[in-house]
Formats: sequence, structure tokens, C-alpha cells
Amino acid sequence: MNYTFQWSVLWSGQSGGWLLQGLITTLELSALAWLLAALLGIVSGAMRTVPWRLLRTLATFYVEFFRNVPLLVWMFFWYFGVPPLLPEAVREWLFDHGAEFWAGMFALGVYHGARMSEVIRSGIQSIPRTQFEASVAMGLTTFQAYRLVIVPIALRLIVPPATSESLNLLKNSSVALTISVAELTFQTRQIETYTARAIEALTAGTLIYLVLCVGIATIMARVERRFAIPGLIARGG
Amino acid sequence: MKRLLVPVLTLALGLGAAAPARAEGTLEKINQSGVLVIGTRTASPPFAFVNKNNEWVGFSIDLVEQGILPALSKKLGKPIKLEKKESTPPTRIPLLTSNAVDLIAGTMTDTRARRDSVDFSLTFFVTGAQFLVKKSSPIKGIESIAARRIAAQQGSTNAKIIRERVPTAKLQEFPDQPAAFQALVQGQVDAYTNDGIQLYGLRAKAPKPDDWKVVGDFFSYEPYGMAMRKNDSDFRAVVNNGLMELIESGKYFELYDKWFGPRGETPYPLTPENKRFLIMQVVPK
Repeated sequence: MNYTFQWSVLWSGQSGGWLLQGLITTLELSALAWLLAALLGIVSGAMRTVPWRLLRTLATFYVEFFRNVPLLVWMFFWYFGVPPLLPEAVREWLFDHGAEFWAGMFALGVYHGARMSEVIRSGIQSIPRTQFEASVAMGLTTFQAYRLVIVPIALRLIVPPATSESLNLLKNSSVALTISVAELTFQTRQIETYTARAIEALTAGTLIYLVLCVGIATIMARVERRFAIPGLIARGG
Repeated sequence: MKRLLVPVLTLALGLGAAAPARAEGTLEKINQSGVLVIGTRTASPPFAFVNKNNEWVGFSIDLVEQGILPALSKKLGKPIKLEKKESTPPTRIPLLTSNAVDLIAGTMTDTRARRDSVDFSLTFFVTGAQFLVKKSSPIKGIESIAARRIAAQQGSTNAKIIRERVPTAKLQEFPDQPAAFQALVQGQVDAYTNDGIQLYGLRAKAPKPDDWKVVGDFFSYEPYGMAMRKNDSDFRAVVNNGLMELIESGKYFELYDKWFGPRGETPYPLTPENKRFLIMQVVPK
């Protein structure tokens, strides 16, 4: 019952091309979803701290609703639940143009936007209240104070948790295979189907995710150092 | 960071390599635990599925319970219990090689590529790939699926054949049957391909079976076998003996009738050709 490894299945035949295709799809899906998540997160995170109740309630509703339902359910929601609400022509067009990719992108982006929102809110709330008061005293409107002072500082503060959240998003993109998006995990399974070599294929997938995530974490560590505000953000070491 | 990376990688690879290596044979494992663990399906009627009364039943499960369990009990001289775990096409080989299950008894096609990693019992069912489409669909078989959106099950042999024979078809692969069928119902895909018998099973379980039809000639040959870990001929002999006993005693055909007969879960008559093929697999005592 000893298992003999045959690593050559990873580069012989079509395997290499599939892994590359899967990697590209994973990166496309994650990058677009990340942009959506960052946008939704910043807007709703800021909204949760503004002095207007209606906006706060709206943002709270978004966060609690989307982060408290499993991602898998959101995948099915965007893929199976949303298309029937669209007009027939739009639906047919979507089905012919990778509906599963867009459904997966929205599911990931909106779900992680809600989680990102909490990260950003905690960043904003860690800024002393006096910063906001000083901005308003200098004649900025609330919107300007957020855009020019509060959000830029908050974004610098939250780099470490936002990095974790972004890595989660990248790894969670694999859930999109349930709605038939041919991303990286899907392709490793594909190799397994063709070669019946599960452990080699899964190891390749694992290593690619690991390298991607470690790479992003390294870049983000540099970003954090580069944009730290001297005197405001204490750094260890 | 760099200093950490090497031990982490070693650990990850080491775990992957260590798990499947286990010296003892499957018979010995079953003798010690008193349990045969099978990996089977939950939504592949009538082979293995959860029925209306929430019981996990099916033709493949019956074959194990009435053929292989008695053969094991006889061989080991004590009663053996059955434990069922869910397995899907992408998980079944890893489940076997990691020792999580001892036998895959579901709807697994015996192929030469798969024989590189697992061993198969004798063939217990024969079918071939077809398409499930809406009643009004113009799709008639594999010759009319070019540029169409086709759903398939991830990790199945059917997807592989379509990719090779009709590269222009837009293949979408789902991890399980319900999701693929839902995509067909909603129009995300134009047809769903799987082994013919499974499509008949799906159709029979659909809310309105008459809205659907199974079309096309078999575009693949799908002999179902039960899969085991490689190079464990003692266990394999017991499994095969159990199946041969079922066919020889005629019990197999009673079970066939129970699930595929006119009043069964999925009517699917046994052709004389297939019946002969099954009987000829039985070697003399």
C-alpha cells in the first residue's frame, strides 16, 4: 500500500497549461473581487462611524447581513438566485459570457466587503476623536474630513488586518468551483481526474496558494513600512 | 519569513507523504476494527442516495450489504459492521489512499488511468454517457452540442471525452449532481451529461419527469467497479468473491429488479448482452 510519487504528471501533457489557466482565473477573480470588497468596505466602514443615523443603520445592515451568511450560500445566491430576476435578453447574454465568473466575483466581493468594512471601521475608531474635530474646526465639511484626513489615516493603520482579509479572499476564491468556475483548485482536481494522481495535484495547488499568499504578505509588509506615519503609528522592533 | 518557509514546506510535504503509507492490509484493518468503511454517493439514485424517508440506500449499497459483508464475515469469522461515508468523484481516490475508506461503492467507472492509482473489483454495472435536456431542446446527442453550454460532473470521464471530441462545446463542471441539474433547470446550461443510468435516475426524481428527456447514443463506455487501495489482492479477492456469489446465486438479479425493474426507483431493463457479460465474469469455484 505504499504510494509512489509521480511528480512528472504536473508538467507532462496538458497539466502545466491547466495549472496556469487556473492560476490566471484565480488571480482575475480575486483581483476584481478585492477591488469591489475594498470599495464596499471603505464606504460602508466609513458610513458606520458618521454622525448620521440613517447611513449608520444602512451600513450595519449590509455588514451583518452579508458576513453572517456562509460564502457558499452567497455563491449559489448570485449564480442561481439572481439571474431569474434579470430580463430574458440580459440573462441569455450573461449565460453566454461566463455568468459563473461574474456570480463568483460578486459573491466574493460583497461578502468580503462586509468583512473589510469591520476592519476599516476599527481603523477609523482607533483614530483619536480630536483629529476629526480639528479637521472640522479648520473648515472642512464632514465628507472632506473623511476623504482627506480620517480615511487616509485609517487605511495606513489597518494594513495588517486588511492583508489577512485579502489573503482570505484569495483562498476563498476556491469556493467558486462549486458554481463551475475553473479556478486553481478546480484545475488541480482536473489533473487528478486525468492522471488519477491526487496527492501530486493537490500538493501543486497547495504550493501555488502558499507562494501567492506569502508573496502578497511580503509586499504588504513593505507597503506598511513605507506608508507608516512617523510619530502616529508605533512600530515594534 | 524565509527561515520559516523551509520547515513549513517540509511539514506540508511530509504530512502528505506520511498519511497514505501504512503497512497493514485492508483485511487486517477490518479485522481489528470490525468495520468496513465504504465511500458512496448521497445523490446518485438508484445506486446510492438518501431516499424520502431519509435513509441512505441504493443498488451499490445493497451489493455491499448483501454480498461483500457476508463474504468478509465468512473470511474473518466474525460479524462485520458497515459504515458509510460520502465520497464524490474528486474526493474518492484521496479518501481511499488516505485510508479514510476501504472501498468505493458508488458509481465509479473503471478506467485504465485510474488503475494506476487504485484497484477495481469486477464490473457490477454497465452504462454509457448521454445527455439530459429540456423536452423542447434541439440537442440530439454528442453530434449536436457544438458551441452549446454543457454541464458535467467534475472529475467524471464524460467531461474528459467532450473536451477531447467537441472542443467547441462550452463545458461547465459542477462538483455535484444537484447543482448541475439546477443549472439545467434555470437555463445556465443547455444540457447535462452524465452516465445514462444516472440521468434516468435524476429524471425520475425530478418534480415533473415528463419535462425532461434523455437523448443521444452512448458516447462512452462506463463499466462501474468498486475501487480499493492498490496491491491488496487478499481484500480484492474477498470483494470479488462476494460479488460473484451474488451473481451466481441470482441475488444480483433480484436486487437489479428491485432498483431497475418496472416498479423500481429507475426503470432500466437489463439487456441480455449485459446479463451474459455479468455471468461470464464469474469464475468457477
